[in-house]
Amino acid sequence: MGSSDPNPDPDLDSVSRSRTRDAHAVSLVWDDGREETIAVGRGETIVDAAEAAGLSVPYGCLYGACGTCTAQLLEGEVTHVEVPRGLKERARERGFVLACVATPESDCRLRVGHGIQAEVMGTPWK
Amino acid sequence: MSDTGDHAHSHAEHAHEHPDVEGPGYPTPAAMRTESEREKTAYVMAPRVGMEQQGPGFVGIVDVDPQSETYSELVDVVEMPNEGDELHHFGWNACSSSCHAEGLSRQYLVVPGQRSSRIHVIDVEDPRNPEMVKVIEPEEIFEHDLSAPHTVHCVPGGKVVISMLGNADGELPGGFLQLDQDDFTIDGHWEADRGEMEMNYDYWYQPRHDVMISTEWAAPNTYYPGFDLDDVEAGKYGDSIHIWDWESREHVQTLEFGEEGQIPLEVRMSHNPEETQGYVGAALSSNIIRFFEESDGTWDWEVAIDEEPREHEDWDMPVPPLITDIVLSLDDQYLFYSNWLHGDVRMYDVSDMGNPRLVDRIWAGGLFGDRQEVQGTEIRGAPQMLQLSRDGRRLYWTTSLFSTWDNQFYPEIAEEGSLMLKADVFPDEGRMELDEEFLVDFGDAPGGPARAHEIRWPGGDCTSDVWQ
Repeated sequence: MGSSDPNPDPDLDSVSRSRTRDAHAVSLVWDDGREETIAVGRGETIVDAAEAAGLSVPYGCLYGACGTCTAQLLEGEVTHVEVPRGLKERARERGFVLACVATPESDCRLRVGHGIQAEVMGTPWK
Repeated sequence: MSDTGDHAHSHAEHAHEHPDVEGPGYPTPAAMRTESEREKTAYVMAPRVGMEQQGPGFVGIVDVDPQSETYSELVDVVEMPNEGDELHHFGWNACSSSCHAEGLSRQYLVVPGQRSSRIHVIDVEDPRNPEMVKVIEPEEIFEHDLSAPHTVHCVPGGKVVISMLGNADGELPGGFLQLDQDDFTIDGHWEADRGEMEMNYDYWYQPRHDVMISTEWAAPNTYYPGFDLDDVEAGKYGDSIHIWDWESREHVQTLEFGEEGQIPLEVRMSHNPEETQGYVGAALSSNIIRFFEESDGTWDWEVAIDEEPREHEDWDMPVPPLITDIVLSLDDQYLFYSNWLHGDVRMYDVSDMGNPRLVDRIWAGGLFGDRQEVQGTEIRGAPQMLQLSRDGRRLYWTTSLFSTWDNQFYPEIAEEGSLMLKADVFPDEGRMELDEEFLVDFGDAPGGPARAHEIRWPGGDCTSDVWQ
């Protein structure tokens, strides 16, 4: 990782170049059984890569404050490029991540979908 | 950023004329109540954040003219250019507070994204043909170390002031963002000294008495991800309101309610500008609190209405009613409020504001509503954002609160969208009735189901205008 490409394709923007060079395969898994695999470039967020691939995933603030994009890491490793302020410590410990500020460190599988945020928070009084 | 087009200063729907000066509103609350026409159009905020099928939110245009063939239908939408905004509350560039400002018209809706911190400006000079004319991107807001825009009021002096719930990181403190009324450029913070105020939510102001009142929800990164009782225990939710000097823009007093006023959200002062009192709905403790000015110029408060949690067989703990919105009729005679978890909307005679008298209620949806459907459609959610007709004879409401909180309490909204409902109000008889002929199902919105939140009329309404 990190060696420069001697012949960068001038038609590719920097993210696309880094995607072809350093990308990880990220499989997005929905509760209805659908699974899609996308390439996520180094430093690129999973939400940005999903959008670029034309896949609809939930998101709100795009800076890690709001939790709408909460996803469950099933396999692999991700890091947050900004502090995931909208994610409780107890949820982080259980393998939940915020896809809008998460970038993969390895190939990985993530469970995504609108209901995960509420699943993590639970329903008060119930 | 796109820019505003030419400023046509023609009059918006329902503008009035004085003999010598024209302005965007009405000279008194009674003038608005009696001289305006019946509402024909409703603007409804419709977010699509956290839906099973996520998409851009929109401002919905709902036909509320019973003479129209498309009555009770969503007839058009103004779709936002981005996803993730969470459209929530919105407001006008001008209202009755600028009644005598010649050349100004109630023409632009200022439409914030609560989650994205993006602010949109929509030209509704033609009420049924709105046009997006400007978008202020989140980065421009964050430069002022603010985020999470909420309540929008036009204020005298050619400005628009928006309550902001967080700083650029979605943490505390919040503040107030001031925009220029002419071109919607950002002036910066409204407040000169926020004192001990950290949390923010709604606000109301009354220039005649040199006062502004602001309320408290929590830090965005606390309430955004959903509601957690541990955060209440940890003191991360509000229990106070703040008194500001309107002229000097300084924080002057905090009214701390403690357990009697947890999460004080919507605030309404009397429409009569002579009055120095109002109500705030404390959502979690489910109290209506009256605040008032004392003879020495300080402010005090008392619990005016106190509701109790209720046992439900499917829930582990007694469930609070959760008062999420309140609205005062333009003649200050009736208070309406919604209990979003219990599922009722209540009507109180508040002709003596310190002694409210319950006169009627409607159950529709929620955990305890005996009516769970209208026209064969399941009521997804429960009474939430309210809007009253100017003449006080029709009460409309929507059933979604906030995407993440909806998904915890009423997850079916994420799949099928929420509703807009209506009751006929009989102020002379002190009662109201659900209008079963009226139903707008945002589950049928073009492009997929949506939530439905705040409602406004062209020409102003019971929560938009302030009289000096």
